[in-house]
Amino acid sequence: MTLLDLSEDEVVEIRSLPADANMARRMSSLGLFAGRRIRFVKAAPFAGPLLVEDQATGARLMIARAMAGEVEVTRGRTPKP
Amino acid sequence: MAARRSPDELVVALTGQPNCGKSTLFNAVAGFRVDTGNFAGTTVSYAETALRFEGRDIRLIDLPGIYSISSFDPAERVARDFLLSGEVDVVVNVVDASILSRSLELTLQLIEMKIPMVLCLNMMDEAQHKGVLIDLERLATLAGVPARSTVAVLGTGIDAVFAAATKMSRTAYQPRDPCYDRDVEDCIAGILARYPEALRQALPVPERFVTLRLLEMDQEFERRASQVDAEFVRSVQQDRRRLATLHGWPESGVLASHRHALVLDLYEQVATHHRGAIAGMREKIDRIITNPVGGLLTVVLSLLLTFSLAFFLGDLVAKLVDQPFAALRTAIQALPPSLAVALLSGLVEGVVAGAGIVLPYLVPLLLLLAVYEDAGLLPRIAFMVDGLLHRVGLHGKSVVPLSLGFGCNVPAIMATRNLENPRDRLITMLVIPFVTCSARSVVILALAGKYLGGMTAAALYLFGLGVAMAVSFAVSRSKQHKALGLIMEVPPLRRPYPTIVMKKVWLRLREFIVVAWPVILVSSVLLSAASYVGIDRPVNAALSPLTTTVLRLPEVTGIALFLGVFRKELALVMLATALGTTEFDLVLSQSQILVLVIFTMLYIPCIATLAALFKEGGLKTCFTSAALNFGVAVLLAGAVAQVARFFA
Ligand SMILES: Nc1nc2c(ncn2[C@@H]2O[C@H](COP(=O)(O)OP(=O)(O)O)[C@@H](O)[C@H]2O)c(=O)[nH]1
Repeated sequence: MTLLDLSEDEVVEIRSLPADANMARRMSSLGLFAGRRIRFVKAAPFAGPLLVEDQATGARLMIARAMAGEVEVTRGRTPKP
Repeated sequence: MAARRSPDELVVALTGQPNCGKSTLFNAVAGFRVDTGNFAGTTVSYAETALRFEGRDIRLIDLPGIYSISSFDPAERVARDFLLSGEVDVVVNVVDASILSRSLELTLQLIEMKIPMVLCLNMMDEAQHKGVLIDLERLATLAGVPARSTVAVLGTGIDAVFAAATKMSRTAYQPRDPCYDRDVEDCIAGILARYPEALRQALPVPERFVTLRLLEMDQEFERRASQVDAEFVRSVQQDRRRLATLHGWPESGVLASHRHALVLDLYEQVATHHRGAIAGMREKIDRIITNPVGGLLTVVLSLLLTFSLAFFLGDLVAKLVDQPFAALRTAIQALPPSLAVALLSGLVEGVVAGAGIVLPYLVPLLLLLAVYEDAGLLPRIAFMVDGLLHRVGLHGKSVVPLSLGFGCNVPAIMATRNLENPRDRLITMLVIPFVTCSARSVVILALAGKYLGGMTAAALYLFGLGVAMAVSFAVSRSKQHKALGLIMEVPPLRRPYPTIVMKKVWLRLREFIVVAWPVILVSSVLLSAASYVGIDRPVNAALSPLTTTVLRLPEVTGIALFLGVFRKELALVMLATALGTTEFDLVLSQSQILVLVIFTMLYIPCIATLAALFKEGGLKTCFTSAALNFGVAVLLAGAVAQVARFFA
């Protein structure tokens, strides 16, 4: 399941980031990394980006669809690695 | 960048993640004397100012906002290299306290650089609203750097930050290195033990820092270190792979994952949570704005408000500005003609032109934009229109520069600085000159509005917008891109503070006054002199192939178009002089007027815009832009002229 498969207001946990190292690094420096819980707020019109909220800080980020499709998430909690 | 004024001047650099309030803090102390520029050979910009604090000279440099110090983003690379250059005495790390647990990631990386540092926890009011309580002293002890709290919008706490900064010194600075897991630390120790002397010489940067960069798969550092000792770099790569398999992380994320854990741990030790009171109202407004209907309505309404304010109110003010000068103009015209009088009249025209753009059109536009920006409305608009802009190769962040372009292209070009990706910045810079600025609106209104009707004028305006989008589409197709994809912070909705807004307006206005106005003044004077001497004949003859053959206009329009390069609305005045009448429809057919308007709208960025393009993007961007505009203008206006032939 990726970020693209969520419905509004759903809270999920990130399992893995995009394979591209730079993309993953940028995301993780913005607070999105494996184990982090986020809420899918909504998607922008015209196939625009997604708005997600980092549950730890309350910070909101908009993410392009192409990028979001590469972020694996899970509904349940995974055990801490 | 300016050199140190004296040996004991303290060079302080502000660093922090975007939106942490860095520039608000900078502007609060910078007053009105700010210099901006680009780092040599890049389009990454900085701002700097000189100030005195408790008898000490300080040079304060505002570095671009960065999320981390990795190498893949030009801004990050440039900021990091500048910090490591040895030119900086003290780093002030500005941090958004309301999202502390994320912001500390950069802080740990900065600590590893071993440059004397002060931690500045900004947005303490926001943190409080959220119910986050931060133990500053504990944070300072655990991180090993002094920590101060500020509310930059109110100006509170800033003095204490500088007081702490002036007390820092390189020799006495002993930060605590963030301590990673046992196996990571063992690995680091092993690498440090065999750290090559040659590398130490070649890279005058703390060894532990270089080691960490290599473990983090930083391509730039790998490249630099490989040039010195490729064998060593290979051995570090092996260590890195070993760590990655051991922990089951991707190779590039080994250190990052450990750092996340460190930060979380640090955060939990210094912060306590209470129930925040903030969410309710903001959340409600936010929901309306980011809802498709409410959002698009917000976008349309705010654009409408901006343009109506700029144009209807602006028009009124423009007339008021013009009045006192009208008398002066008549007085000058009454003087017996001489070169001196010509120069004087050129000067007056230059002043009038500047004032006629600044006060009426630019100020309202800048004002509203600053309010939207500070209220957090712009990122939401960017969110809503990003999908649309993407189709033409732009993205959400281009919204600010492009809307500024409707007032004046010069500050719009300057505002492209907020685009961190060089490719996006270049595309936006090339599109801006196609945005119909207020000077060109004057031409549209005066020519098309008067002789072709209001509907045609409006249609031409839309046509201009369409051309800009088409150009953007074409340019973005031609520019290869390694898309990183957009990921952008959407800061919470906030109340804008009038003083902060005014400062922002002033700083942008200053760019117009410093960059554009002098160019306008000088060219006005030169033009006046030239027309006094009589350059119109040779210019008309030289441009004749373009004007008469391609555009099918009278030859005398050559001089007007030529002068329009200096100031678009000047083309209008010169046209009247050249044609010997202000009733253009007596000498031009309707289709000729249409061709003239289209050509004037597009044919070249005015000279002030070219100067701005040169300053921000370099000579190549400047030429590309001029060529692009000229090509498109000849193509479109020429096509209209040739088609009109068959209907004549
Ligand atoms: N509430 C609050 N808002 C702040 C504070 N400092 C800055 N801001 C606001 O935060 C936003 C981002 O600030 P800015 O200086 O542009 O951030 P930069 O990207 O780091 O330069 C602006 O709307 C500021 O008015 C603060 O201490 N408290």
